[in-house]
Amino acid sequence: MGTNPPQIGLYIIDPGETLAEIVDLQAVIQKCAKIRQVEVCEVISDIWAEQSLQTVQETVTENRIDRLVWVGTFTAQQKKTIQNVLLEVGVNPYLHEWCDLQLQTIALGKGTEKTLLGKTLTVIEMALARAKQLQPLVPIKLPASDSVVVVGAGIAGLHAAASFIERGKRVHLVEKQSGVGGKVALLSRFYPLLCNPQCGIEYVLKTLRNSDKLTLHTLSKPLAVEGNAGNFSVTIQSQPRYVDTDRCNGCGLCSNVCPVELPIFLDNIQDEPPFQEAKGIGGLIKETRRAIHASVPFSFPESFVVERASCPEGCCKCEDACPTKAIDLSEQLPAEQNITAGAVLATTGWDPYPLSRLNNYHGYGQHANVIGNLEMEQLLSQISKGSDIPLFPSEGDGNRVGFIQCSGSRNTKHLSYCSSVCCSATIKQIKQLKTLRPDAKCTVFYQDMRCNGFEEELYRELRSTSDVLFVRGFPKVEASNPPEGTKLTLVCEDTFSGRPITTELDLLVLAGGMQPSKAGVEFAELSGLPLNDHNFFEGHYQCYPEESQRTGILTGGCARGPMNASQSIESAGRAAMKALKFLEGTISIEPTYPVVNQLKCDQCKRCVEECPFDCYRLNDKGFPEPDLSKCRQCGNCMGICPVSAISINHLTLKQLAVQIEILENSFLDYEEPIILAFLCENDALVAARSAMDKGLNVPMNVIHIGVPCAGAVNNALIADALSIGIDGVLIGGCKDGQCHYINGNQLVNKRSGDLADKLKTMRVEPERVQSLSLEIHEAERYVTILEDYIQSLKAMGPSPFKL
Amino acid sequence: MPPRVDLTKCDGCKAQDEPLCEQVCPGNLMTLNENSQAMCRESSDCWDCMSCTKVYPVGAIETRVPYQIGYHGAKLIPMVGTNSITWTSIDINDKVERFRCKTRND
Repeated sequence: MGTNPPQIGLYIIDPGETLAEIVDLQAVIQKCAKIRQVEVCEVISDIWAEQSLQTVQETVTENRIDRLVWVGTFTAQQKKTIQNVLLEVGVNPYLHEWCDLQLQTIALGKGTEKTLLGKTLTVIEMALARAKQLQPLVPIKLPASDSVVVVGAGIAGLHAAASFIERGKRVHLVEKQSGVGGKVALLSRFYPLLCNPQCGIEYVLKTLRNSDKLTLHTLSKPLAVEGNAGNFSVTIQSQPRYVDTDRCNGCGLCSNVCPVELPIFLDNIQDEPPFQEAKGIGGLIKETRRAIHASVPFSFPESFVVERASCPEGCCKCEDACPTKAIDLSEQLPAEQNITAGAVLATTGWDPYPLSRLNNYHGYGQHANVIGNLEMEQLLSQISKGSDIPLFPSEGDGNRVGFIQCSGSRNTKHLSYCSSVCCSATIKQIKQLKTLRPDAKCTVFYQDMRCNGFEEELYRELRSTSDVLFVRGFPKVEASNPPEGTKLTLVCEDTFSGRPITTELDLLVLAGGMQPSKAGVEFAELSGLPLNDHNFFEGHYQCYPEESQRTGILTGGCARGPMNASQSIESAGRAAMKALKFLEGTISIEPTYPVVNQLKCDQCKRCVEECPFDCYRLNDKGFPEPDLSKCRQCGNCMGICPVSAISINHLTLKQLAVQIEILENSFLDYEEPIILAFLCENDALVAARSAMDKGLNVPMNVIHIGVPCAGAVNNALIADALSIGIDGVLIGGCKDGQCHYINGNQLVNKRSGDLADKLKTMRVEPERVQSLSLEIHEAERYVTILEDYIQSLKAMGPSPFKL
Repeated sequence: MPPRVDLTKCDGCKAQDEPLCEQVCPGNLMTLNENSQAMCRESSDCWDCMSCTKVYPVGAIETRVPYQIGYHGAKLIPMVGTNSITWTSIDINDKVERFRCKTRND
């Protein structure tokens, strides 16, 4: 091993001698054997026969070759097997070069014998040229913390925390309220089993309660997220509880003596407007809490908490009453602390859309008996607890309940999206209401009922019940309704019959929408994560939904968009799964990362500006350095560098340039244009490959080179290609908005546009450089594009640089 | 003849403190104007070395050939590859010549 210069073994794999029928392999062997540094040059008809790979192994152990070029057609599985077999004799997996004849249109066998032979020789020479440049590479390991910070202890955060703890990871759960549970803890029932969510929270807490891996930070919020994947430093600020969580035994004696009574969920439901001012719920929810009370919304941690702002001056009755001396009412300042974590998970959840903004239609906050659906949940849970509070403010005979769907959702003036859970929530509430008050008469005003999946069955069940009326329309509460009255009159046009309908109700429930939580928006701001148009966290929705643009920060649950509880738990689980790789104590980085050549670098900082994942930082000498734990290895820095100083390992500019150089001698006639196509491996290259697989008539004129992202193509490579007389250069990337690396395709389009302008001044047709968006299924379109392109290149005539 | 900057294209290297053209200019003539775009501060001192033209990432700088060599309107345009520069020269009679030289950029 390690002989200098490198010695190459060239193996042409030809199962069933199909290749020999197309190309004169003996001529290929004769030619290639003469190329410098090619030590072995053989055709193997059956690579999977026992002795075949053994012979190759022996050639390596005899020190005759140290790298291999494989010619033929290979699946990923076959490549891996061959790599593993040769790894046994010490060949680094990155010292194999795969020359895929299928991808280069040769295996199709279309074209004259001469061009087929010529193209085969060209692509093999390209592979050999690259093989000479290959370097052995090994993955690198970076140290990483095994803790994780979960922001938000709602149902998603709790489930994520439980998954981490089951894997033995240390979890810091940061919650802004005094207890866990989030919005789900406020519900009366949840889908799809219609059980009590308190029970569901208790179940997940089973894992958390007894674990010494969990650190729960209540009344806390993150202030800063510094560092990067594997080694984040998260600063959190915690407000004082005034109760020692270790001493407090939750006996509740303090609450009994507390003189202050507060509405039960003052801070839980609506951030705006101040809830007690809304007249509606005041008369309905009778439960209250004291200024010292158990954690809300769910009593975990079991320790009590003091709302110091509500305490009367000088009162310290609770302090005196506490048998364990856990309470300390002396003035305390918020505490700040730094947590080191390998990953951060944002499960910041949602807030209800402020229904007071719908006043023009629905009179929320103006009429005593107009409430939101979260308040309805509270009301239902209050009644199901057996309290003697009447369901309706009107005394005696009231039993008519109305529900208005899409209150705030699917309305361009409010939330333009569908909040996805409200239809099912209404169905659920009616179902519970009917069990508690069988005489209730319900009317649902809807635009479209959207009960997805199995929820449809519940909807159908209710629809067939005679005393639930579904009206398609958007009602208005009559302005003439007296604000203090107990009955409401609604007018609505039934959009099916076109007739106006007037309905009298005792209680009106607005199925309000979900908007991103304020805490989520704040977290995005402090951690630099992008939000989508609706202020939910943005990810690549299909391919890595829970991953954010900042590697190591993940998002789950309703922080990503409206979801019901079970979807939210699923999302949290996926996010936890993705976070685990950062919590292993070390992070393994594939060796195909970018390397900056400091001898060439001019410190222009373009890579710093344009890296889609913000990986680059300047070192103390002013040179950019990629942060490998953040890097997704897309190669956009390699593409952007104006002085070609950045290369991705295993796909260096040099490795690409030597391949392009081979194309100087055309394998076709002078008039036939040669096209060099750089295709994005995510979809354009796959589309091209499937065009071959389908046996479509892909022209011989094209040579394919795969790149991790279209944005990795440097203008210098295009200049190389044009200057040696290649007639056309094609850059195939994703459609706008579909790029896995945010906007690699747009970056390359901008650059090749600049190059095209330069070509114009050089009196070269700018159309010789073309970029193209190709979706993965567009094999046929790719062939059409190629054919059209060849026609237009022929019309232009051969490249002025062509020899 | 001094470099001419296409102000519709120049992005001032995204307003970094020192743009690429400023770094490469051997006479330290290039700088940023008040709009953070490239400009030559003393055109009579330019040697026509074309370093700025070659390095320019978005192709916004053009060098006019000195009139002593090619008369007014003649152009010389470099296109920089990984290890070669391809020159296109266009004289005042629109005669186009192209030549490619290897560089030792590896």
